[in-house]
Amino acid sequence: MTIEVKDVCKSFDGRNVLNNFNLNIEEEHSYVITGPSGCGKTTLLRLILGLDEPDSGTVKLLGDYKYPFINSGTVFQEDRLCEDFDAVTNVTMVSKKVFRATVIEELKQLLPEEALFKPVKELSGGQRRRVAIVRACAIPSDILIMDEPFTGLDEESKTKAIAYIRDKQGSGALVITAHDTTGLEFARTINLETQCKEI
Amino acid sequence: MQKVVKRVIPIVAWLLIWQLVAIIVHNKILLAGPLETVKALAALAGTSEFWTSVGETTGRILLGFLIGSVIGILLSYAAYKNYVIEDFLKPIVITLKSVPVASFVILLLIWFGNKGISTVICAVVVFPILYMNTLEGLKSTDVKLLEMAKVFRMPGDRAVRFIYLPQLKPFWKSAFKLAIGMSFKSGIAAEVIGQPLHTIGNGLYLSKVYLETGELFAWTIVVVLIAFVCEKLLNIVLEFVL
Repeated sequence: MTIEVKDVCKSFDGRNVLNNFNLNIEEEHSYVITGPSGCGKTTLLRLILGLDEPDSGTVKLLGDYKYPFINSGTVFQEDRLCEDFDAVTNVTMVSKKVFRATVIEELKQLLPEEALFKPVKELSGGQRRRVAIVRACAIPSDILIMDEPFTGLDEESKTKAIAYIRDKQGSGALVITAHDTTGLEFARTINLETQCKEI
Repeated sequence: MQKVVKRVIPIVAWLLIWQLVAIIVHNKILLAGPLETVKALAALAGTSEFWTSVGETTGRILLGFLIGSVIGILLSYAAYKNYVIEDFLKPIVITLKSVPVASFVILLLIWFGNKGISTVICAVVVFPILYMNTLEGLKSTDVKLLEMAKVFRMPGDRAVRFIYLPQLKPFWKSAFKLAIGMSFKSGIAAEVIGQPLHTIGNGLYLSKVYLETGELFAWTIVVVLIAFVCEKLLNIVLEFVL
């Protein structure tokens, strides 16, 4: 499966965010989208996810793909967790294909055991972020799309999270947005700063 | 223990004031005291008619409450999904909310007679309360969580359980509490006006006709007790379900 982003333009309130942007996202490849704030990193991910429509240009799934939509494991810019439920429930709730016992083992890889069964509203920002990462990785998906997944993580947690994500990526593609690309050298860097300057 | 004492003392104080005023008035028709009321209640409780009336009224009111709640919730979901439905329902909801219960009762008596009048009235009173609160709750659901559910293709039943229900909980708690109280008030009022046999409303009306103030108070206490028990049971059910 290849996701083709072709000649995409997107503007908000008369301000161009993406201008004739092109990118092919291929299986087994990793991409880190970087650039200063407001350069369209989140916008690009939302277009890929089909949450927004481009003003012009296309976002297409090429090849023989089994779904009419992108089957992705996603980390949003915000955690988007159900506050009153614990970490395990927050992961298991999104799909009937993930099982509680498996999820507990997955969460243990990134979180201390005592954090697993507390309502997520009682967890720290970094712990919540890690729950969001596990949620994205635990469901069966063809691509991982992560918007600033390491926000609020210290260096050690970030390194562990990157190793975890790489392990879960399998043969799918990985698209991450990040201000700081340290530790993400394995991925192809797409810097939106150049495009910002052109606009 | 301290909490119980704090609750009981004011009640006892008011009962004493009531008894004192009744002694001063010294007219059982104008004001029956608590002792006369208890005597009247004991006398009523000894008759099968009393229990039939309590059963009939409670059953009818709860049925109306259930019907109004279900219709209110279903239509609010339809309105949430389609603004045309919301616009279409708006005038009728505002009308139902503001028209006095007595007007509806008289109208329904003309149209259908007094059979099941309390059920219909309760449904009419409960519907706008549940409709408006549910719609407000649905509208305030976190759109970011809904977007998350969409991206993850979260099954619909789970979206209801984990996203919608927690959001609706505070709205439903206050709505159901208000609705159950209003159900008994309006349902009994409908029975007093409509006079269906073997009902609390009919008992209240007869107390008025025969100037049995003690009996009138006794029926009133029964209504308050039933409404209180129903509200507590409803709270338990809501805590369990939500």
